[in-house]
Amino acid sequence: MKKARLKIGIYELTGCAGDALLILDCEEELINIFQAADIQSFLMAKSDNIDGELDLALVEGSVSTEKDLKELLDIRKRSKVLMAVGICATLGGPQATFLDPREWEEHLKKVYGQTEMARTRPLHPKPLDAYAKVDYYLPGCPIDKEQFLSTLIRLLAGHPPEIHRFPVCMECKWKENDCLLNQGICCLGPLTAAGCRAVCPSHNLPCVGCWGPAEEANYSAEYELLLEKGFDREMVLRKMAGFSGTRIANFASRLRGEKK
Amino acid sequence: MKTIRISRLARVEGACGVSATIDGQIVTDVKFFVNEGPRLFERLTIGKTPEEDLNLVPRICAICTLSHRYAALRALEKALAVKVPAKVTLLRELMHLGEMIESHSLHLYLLALPDYLGYSNAIAMASKYGFEVKVGLDMKQFGNHIMKTMSGRFIHGENPCIGGFGRYPTREELVFIKNRAIQFLPFALKTVQLMCELPYPDIPESETLFVCCHPQDGRFGFVGDEMTISNGDLVDVQEYKKVTNEFFVPHSYCMRSRYKGKPYSVGALARINNLGDRLEGEAGRYYKKYFNARWKKNPLFNNAAQALEMLYSFDRIPQVIDEALKMPDPAPIAWARDTGQGTGAVEAPRGILFHAYDIFEGHITYTDIVTPTAQNAEDIERYCYIAAQTLLQKGEEEKIRDRMDLVIRAFDPCISCSVHMVQIKKAPDGDWRNRLKKLASGRRLSFIGLGREDRSDDAAGRKLARLLRNRGVKDVWLEEDLTMNSAPGDRARPVVFLDAVDFGEKPGKICLLPLRQVLWNASLSHRLAGLVRVPLASERLLDAYLLGIQPASIAEGGRMSTEVSEAVAGILQALVN
Repeated sequence: MKKARLKIGIYELTGCAGDALLILDCEEELINIFQAADIQSFLMAKSDNIDGELDLALVEGSVSTEKDLKELLDIRKRSKVLMAVGICATLGGPQATFLDPREWEEHLKKVYGQTEMARTRPLHPKPLDAYAKVDYYLPGCPIDKEQFLSTLIRLLAGHPPEIHRFPVCMECKWKENDCLLNQGICCLGPLTAAGCRAVCPSHNLPCVGCWGPAEEANYSAEYELLLEKGFDREMVLRKMAGFSGTRIANFASRLRGEKK
Repeated sequence: MKTIRISRLARVEGACGVSATIDGQIVTDVKFFVNEGPRLFERLTIGKTPEEDLNLVPRICAICTLSHRYAALRALEKALAVKVPAKVTLLRELMHLGEMIESHSLHLYLLALPDYLGYSNAIAMASKYGFEVKVGLDMKQFGNHIMKTMSGRFIHGENPCIGGFGRYPTREELVFIKNRAIQFLPFALKTVQLMCELPYPDIPESETLFVCCHPQDGRFGFVGDEMTISNGDLVDVQEYKKVTNEFFVPHSYCMRSRYKGKPYSVGALARINNLGDRLEGEAGRYYKKYFNARWKKNPLFNNAAQALEMLYSFDRIPQVIDEALKMPDPAPIAWARDTGQGTGAVEAPRGILFHAYDIFEGHITYTDIVTPTAQNAEDIERYCYIAAQTLLQKGEEEKIRDRMDLVIRAFDPCISCSVHMVQIKKAPDGDWRNRLKKLASGRRLSFIGLGREDRSDDAAGRKLARLLRNRGVKDVWLEEDLTMNSAPGDRARPVVFLDAVDFGEKPGKICLLPLRQVLWNASLSHRLAGLVRVPLASERLLDAYLLGIQPASIAEGGRMSTEVSEAVAGILQALVN
């Protein structure tokens, strides 16, 4: 007997829509995805979207408005499995780097003035798991096509995804790149989760940390290592906090407090 | 009250919506809103180094990622006095052409075409229009391939950096792109035919201003240090604020722009309107064949303009690559200084994009980014309004929703850029009362009575003003009280004009409308000559309203009709209590 196709919804909260776009970018595989799964909702790709019960919800973007929050809670209620997709959903993304809500509010006022938001109230940006249970995390800014497809195939087959626990350095070594740290370039590879196939170091450019911290990474050791290499402390902390939202930013602000 | 609401517009990149409120025969309110939350990128860049800025700002938008990177590079390199060699400029042009092809083919084939062929999505379209979908996907894939080769990834690639590229593409990679571009030319020609011959409806049509980059070399192109405006003005990009002067509307997180007080359009249609006569080769030939006066006033032709630009891009790629292959890969370039200012402009696929930075001792102290969709937002709202009002008057109310959808999608809005849809409301009887109450909550209003007391119902505005004064209401003015220097009342206060207005409604019908919307409606605004005489700063126009009463007659010497007298009494009661 043929198994029923999984009902999938792809949703975008606040972000650059890059993860949804990357799914659209799977041109050749896209038609197969639409055949293998029952895509109930994918706003960027189609207009006859149904908001019903789902087997799997893929959600990108951070929760940055009350509307985002309402939508997330609704998706969660309708979905058996929810996967956070992309750095904004998994860790909050660049917009979550203002840790202190008051500091964030000040910046908000500077950009939008004192005007009351008539439509939807902005919220201090947070990753999905600040408000709802997240079953799986697919990191990246944006997500990587191969990692997305292999994850989706596993999920369609009823298996949990296998996300790399090791850092970018592993992938960099597999490519036999020259270590940028040894060339005096401030690279975040040792801290950052693998999955991009070390794309930036393979272009002679330092890793900027856009996959967020690797599960196995030792933040303190990397921090000390970078200081030892002679990089400026503030710069190191700033770079470390750039994409990872709350997780590394909390770590960085703790370090800042200790060393001051 | 009836509201047509498209709260999440499908098949656009990001989250936006439009709502239209209909009161009888009048569209009283059209709002284009962006639901995307604020991300505060301009604030995030403060204190960062130029390289860190480059890691960050392309993340504003996935689809224009390389345009953001390119605009930032142009601005930062100006600030740091970095002069890049010709090969770098050529290769940046190539990456930018890749993004144009990727974005335009995605929009035309996968997002826009299903509307005109009557499908909900491109995949559903594939069974009958398999060839079109395949061509669209192939072109998009080719655009992605160029972006990936040049930037390192499909989206948010980091390879283009200050002074050049981290890794230069190999000769084989470039030759492959060149050959593929040549193979695509016949399909690009077909795309132009398809998109230029679609039956674009003639609602909405209205003239607008077009703004785009002015390439210095006299050729068609997507970058420039000046911008050209369809009224003949040429403005240096350093003075971009003259054109964009952003303001903010409470119903959206997207900033708005106006040039000399008027909404303007940016994007492929602006570029073809302003620079189309510069197109050469096949693109030039097809431009001459298809371009006509409707392109200047109908936003739906943006689809046709994008198709012409795709053809241009496929044509241009082999030229760029041939030139680049003659040059050696340049060595990395160091900054010439660590303090300076710079503004860079490039044409993102959906219009001109500005990045401006101040850098002090290697750290950013000021950032301003003005995106195309932010600039188009006013015109999107205006064209939606015109579409809704015109269709309503023709008795085709059922078409309003789909037409607004079509208009917004034609602008190819990139919402994450500007920080997702259509909503139509039917106003309840006496809706003006609720709106007026909302307007006055927590704020005092200024009133200005307009009209002529010797012309029967045209006296209503002035009469109402006098009655309000008699009842002790402050800040009530008559036309003659105002001189060029005395703007009425406190600047922070909304201004409400009181006048008899021919809405084509039943006599005595009262309507409250935002003034800027009145000004968009040619059939209303020419009956409001009095407004022209009132000195009102353009920023106050955004918080100005018209409280209009439908007259029975404005014949000379007559008395005010019973219906209008009752309307005046009703407004008086609402305002005084």
